[in-house]
Amino acid sequence: MHEMSLMGGVFELIEQTLSQHEVERVLQVKLRVGELTNAQPDALQMAFEAYSKDTICEGADLLVERVPVLGRCRDCHHEFNVETMFFLCPNCQNTGIEIIQGEELLLESLEVE
Amino acid sequence: MEPNRREIEVKAKLLGSNNMQADLNRAHFRENNCLAINLIGSPGAGKTALLEKTLPQLIVNLQVGVIEGDIFTSKDADRIAVHEVPVVQINTGGGCHLDSKMVSKVLPEFDCKSTDLMIIENVGNLVCPADFDLGEAFKVIVLSIVEGDDKPAKYPVIFRNAKAVVLNKMDLEAFTDVNMGNMKQDIRIINPDIHIFEVSCRNGNGLEAWTSWLSQEVTAYQEKENLAGTKL
Repeated sequence: MHEMSLMGGVFELIEQTLSQHEVERVLQVKLRVGELTNAQPDALQMAFEAYSKDTICEGADLLVERVPVLGRCRDCHHEFNVETMFFLCPNCQNTGIEIIQGEELLLESLEVE
Repeated sequence: MEPNRREIEVKAKLLGSNNMQADLNRAHFRENNCLAINLIGSPGAGKTALLEKTLPQLIVNLQVGVIEGDIFTSKDADRIAVHEVPVVQINTGGGCHLDSKMVSKVLPEFDCKSTDLMIIENVGNLVCPADFDLGEAFKVIVLSIVEGDDKPAKYPVIFRNAKAVVLNKMDLEAFTDVNMGNMKQDIRIINPDIHIFEVSCRNGNGLEAWTSWLSQEVTAYQEKENLAGTKL
């Protein structure tokens, strides 16, 4: 359940962001979460509800956008979706794969009023 | 969108503050020429057993410090202290992983300057610790083969991010249905650069390869630091 810790990070960032804006209420919190992380959307949702209680975020929607894993072959530079977490270049069968997307854990944006 | 509704773009890392402290920890280890490793594995995989069995060899030539992560007890730290190695216990109080701030808090309790190798044993868990950088030079996984040959494919994040994996409890191979070929093939497809060690902490087989590799890693790290030092 490290999603509670991750959500702690979300609320730290929300606090920092809101200190620079005049906001009455937060309506939506959007996260980008790479498939190559261990953050589970359901657990994030639960953690969000716990953290947002009695705050300006209470009742806001949490949107978790999952980011697929994209690899680039170190040999032939072919870019491809790593679907089964098997890091094998479909073009040249090389296993030296660089991850270019899918490790994100980001607070993307807030919708506020 | 309602009239007052507006979007604020943030694009900031959730682990930003953990990563920042991890970088400070890493700089601290670098300044002190101390190789720090993050030892990760499920409960019962044999992380502490591996340390118990290999510390006597490691301390012949190296000054070693150990940070023990545990949810509640100091049972692991007590087992390490027997070997007369400086050890500090971190209790996460329910938390499923160590983070960089917890590690930074205990660093002053060590004489890092005279420490060659700092082993940070994480909380028993193959999932959560993978996302938290502690400032280590690299991660090492301990996986006992009795956990099943499907585990690497089921926990790819940690296998992707580790430099070595110690496959423990090899003495039990004959009593399980584990397919070592499949297990190692899956590990290599997830991470072709990973070093694989097959050991038994119970009968001692394979431990020498692991300790000599780790000792070489310390030497390589320290030589690199000396070179960097000369450049400065």
